[in-house]
Amino acid sequence: MKGLGYLEETILLLIMLMDDDAYGYSVSMMYEKHMGKAISISAIHAVMSRLEKKGLISSYMGGATPERGGRQKRIFEVTAAGRQTISDIKDNREKLWDLIPDLS
Amino acid sequence: MKSTPNPPRWADQFLRWFCAEELLEEIQGDLHEAFYHRQQHQGLFYAQWAFVKDVFAFFGPYAFEKYSRTKQFLPMFDNYFKIALRNILHRKSFTAINFLGLSIGICALLSIGLYLQHEYSFDKHVPDHERVFRLQSKYRDQTYTNMHFSDYYSSSAESQLQLIRFLEEDEAVDVACHFVPSYTAIGGNDQYYVEIQDRRFVAQDVLYTNTGERFQAIFPQTFLQGNPATAFSKYNSVVLTETLANRWFGDTWKQQSLIGTTLTIREEIYTLGGIVANPPSQQHFDFDWIVYQKEIPSWGAYTYLKLTEQASFPDFLGRLNQQIDQVYPGYSEDVLRKGIEGVPLTEIHFTEGNLYEIKAVANPSYLSTFGWIGVIILLIIWINYTNLSIAMYTDRQKELGIRKVMGARPLDISLQLVAEASLLAVLSFPFCYILLHLTLPYFGEILDTGLGRANLNHPLTLLSLFSLLLLTGIISSLYPAVTYGRKSLVHLMGDKIKSAFGYKYLNFRNVLLTSQFVMVVGLLSVSLFIYQQMQFILNKDLGYEKEGVIYFGVDGAEKYQALRQKLAQIPEVNSIGANGVPGEQMYNQLTYKLKDAEATLSDGTQQYLDWGSIQTLGIDCPPCQALAEGKERIFVINRTAAEKLAKTRGVSPEELVGTTLVTEPEWENEEHGFGTPHLIDGIIDDYKYFSLKHPNQSLLLDIVQQPQWVYEVLVKVQTDDWRQSMYKIEQAYGEIETVRPFDPGFLSERLEKLYQNERTSGQLMGGLTLTVVILAFMGLAGMVSYLAFGRQREIGIRKVLGASVGQILFLFNKEFMLLLGIATLITLPIALVVSQNWLNNFAYSIDPKPWVVLLASGIILLLLIILVSLQAFKAAIKRPVDVIKNVN
Repeated sequence: MKGLGYLEETILLLIMLMDDDAYGYSVSMMYEKHMGKAISISAIHAVMSRLEKKGLISSYMGGATPERGGRQKRIFEVTAAGRQTISDIKDNREKLWDLIPDLS
Repeated sequence: MKSTPNPPRWADQFLRWFCAEELLEEIQGDLHEAFYHRQQHQGLFYAQWAFVKDVFAFFGPYAFEKYSRTKQFLPMFDNYFKIALRNILHRKSFTAINFLGLSIGICALLSIGLYLQHEYSFDKHVPDHERVFRLQSKYRDQTYTNMHFSDYYSSSAESQLQLIRFLEEDEAVDVACHFVPSYTAIGGNDQYYVEIQDRRFVAQDVLYTNTGERFQAIFPQTFLQGNPATAFSKYNSVVLTETLANRWFGDTWKQQSLIGTTLTIREEIYTLGGIVANPPSQQHFDFDWIVYQKEIPSWGAYTYLKLTEQASFPDFLGRLNQQIDQVYPGYSEDVLRKGIEGVPLTEIHFTEGNLYEIKAVANPSYLSTFGWIGVIILLIIWINYTNLSIAMYTDRQKELGIRKVMGARPLDISLQLVAEASLLAVLSFPFCYILLHLTLPYFGEILDTGLGRANLNHPLTLLSLFSLLLLTGIISSLYPAVTYGRKSLVHLMGDKIKSAFGYKYLNFRNVLLTSQFVMVVGLLSVSLFIYQQMQFILNKDLGYEKEGVIYFGVDGAEKYQALRQKLAQIPEVNSIGANGVPGEQMYNQLTYKLKDAEATLSDGTQQYLDWGSIQTLGIDCPPCQALAEGKERIFVINRTAAEKLAKTRGVSPEELVGTTLVTEPEWENEEHGFGTPHLIDGIIDDYKYFSLKHPNQSLLLDIVQQPQWVYEVLVKVQTDDWRQSMYKIEQAYGEIETVRPFDPGFLSERLEKLYQNERTSGQLMGGLTLTVVILAFMGLAGMVSYLAFGRQREIGIRKVLGASVGQILFLFNKEFMLLLGIATLITLPIALVVSQNWLNNFAYSIDPKPWVVLLASGIILLLLIILVSLQAFKAAIKRPVDVIKNVN
């Protein structure tokens, strides 16, 4: 399994959450909304290109809008490998959480 | 869609330029969308700022890390930069030599540049200077820089203005003015007390004018208090410069309202009409203050005019010379008057050989000499750098070879080397700045110019400093860069020593070294010639005593007589004399002839002095015996005059004694008919009354017992305590004179001042020569140590085979000595011609001898041997085994 950084994991989750509308700017907005802090568009692009190289997401061009000056978006989707990875992470985490004795 | 604000165009374009094409669409789209939303929610300004920030964020790691165009060249530059820095840090001694050499050289160069710029900007600040001219008149064999008033000293205020009025009637003339600075030969060198309220100040350097408004029209002054209209509205008004205002009224003069303050000068009342900014130092006349009064206290004035825009100066001059009789009746019939000419304002500073010039002019040949030295320094810096680089790169051939293996093209290698050199050069900018900051004020002081730190901080100066450095970096690295770029791989990876030496003798490096030696030896020998000449002049027998003689000004014969009695009571005073103080500038000459001879000579310098003066100077004067026997006055001529006169009649000079000489024979008068007759009482040997730059002049001396007319006094003092004796003399002076301040000077200093120009240029030359020698040797030191390092295995093997340390040192020295020898041969004729050229400025000069050049070459040789041996010694004493076994 490929290693996944914290930011990569977060963004992967965000793309999953956003379904059909995940592209640079919208993901950065979503990040800000859910994580409560700002992130630059270039950082999003860098992370997404890394994720794509790892084969966890895929992309296609589409959805030009007037505010973009008629330019197309690169829309990202999570691949099966991506879903697998993220759920593996989740499982592993949960196993660890289960091992922690309930203190309350 | 309706028009909405767009993000900053330049940032957008920048993004398009660096961003990979396949990514542009999405990135640009995202950024524009972000801009659109931000602009709606957070305002236009924030949106624009955020857009720019984002663009640059993309230019950062993300762009470097992955994508196309930026990847192609930016990392390469990054790499050059890194390698360059590593090299600079790695070779500390080389870097130090290069740094130091570059900084010193460039500083010297920039100082020269600033000086030349200062000289060539003379009078250029005057508005419309191309239309301003000064009138000069030619009389006998001399050109006077001033015009005279129609009745000379006895001109009324009206007739003083006659010429100005006449000039202004001409349609070509816009405005004309005239003035006399008091420190000029025609200004009388006045000094007097100015009383303001109850305080008294010594004042000098006045600019007298009676054409105030017109002066302001041609040479506009910046008024800090008052205004030109009121300052020059009525006579007896004075205008001070800032400096003088500071001195008289303190720092707070700006807060005081000083206009209208009354001043008393020689019991006359003047009003303060204005305070102006100090005149710039690049002006052919200076002043501390301006006195605007009805009459100019002189027999003439410096006369300027400004033409209208369409007028042609030659046409105007032609007209003026035709009609000049209207101003000076009988002018055109006078055979001695050779007409009126004019100089453009900006050429005044470069026009030599005229009489009564206000300020010392620049000698264009000196200026061009400095220019050439600048070029030499620049060449030496370049040669140094090139030489050092060639030596240094022998060690880096492997590195360059590997780069080539990895796919570097020739251009890449060259670019890398040029980038390294330029980086080093540009890095020395702060050093240069600090160095100039420290040295420039001294430089300005030596040359007596206003150069200082203010000039350094001018943006143009900084820019030229920077570009000079960059240019030096690029040019000096060009040759090694191109050669190494082109070298084949086999050469680069092969034997270092062989490829470094190339052809045995005629290689690029040796040519550079030889030319460097030529420059060093040449400059050193010229400096030695200058030094010899200055010593020669200061030690030359002048025909009189100059030690222990002081001089000062006195107003009139009565005061002189009184003073003579007072001074005679002071025991230290040996003798006192009136007039005839040597070391004058050349002044107006007159015509003279033997009474019954045809030929008239025109180069006579007449003098009126008393016998005391002759005694004070210790001039050998046999005819003066007559004075001792009680005769009231005698007339003697010097040998130069006697020989010239004797030739006109074909007799020996001695036979002239007892005959009659007529001065100014063209002057018709009632008393004598033509001219003034003098019975020649005797001949004395030549003594050097003027500067040694001029040949002996014909002196016609009136020597009297009791002078009727006195302006200057000579006193010979024999004392061990100058301060005490001077005090006594000043006391004596003060009892007699209350109007004119005491201003004594030493005769020997006055004589030295005659060669001020030569001395400063000599000093500067010496300083620059030293700089050049240091620079050249620094470069040489670096190179020799490098060569020695590269050849240590060869040295090791030689030692194993039995060579001694001495032999090895000789091996190194031999090469350089040969080059120096060739250089000396080339230098010899050049140095002789150049210094002969300079010596032609003097009527009395040394002969430039070839041995001086050989001496210079010998000095360089000695330094060379010491330097080379020191550097090679380290390599020569190493144990052979350490060097040979070390296979690197």
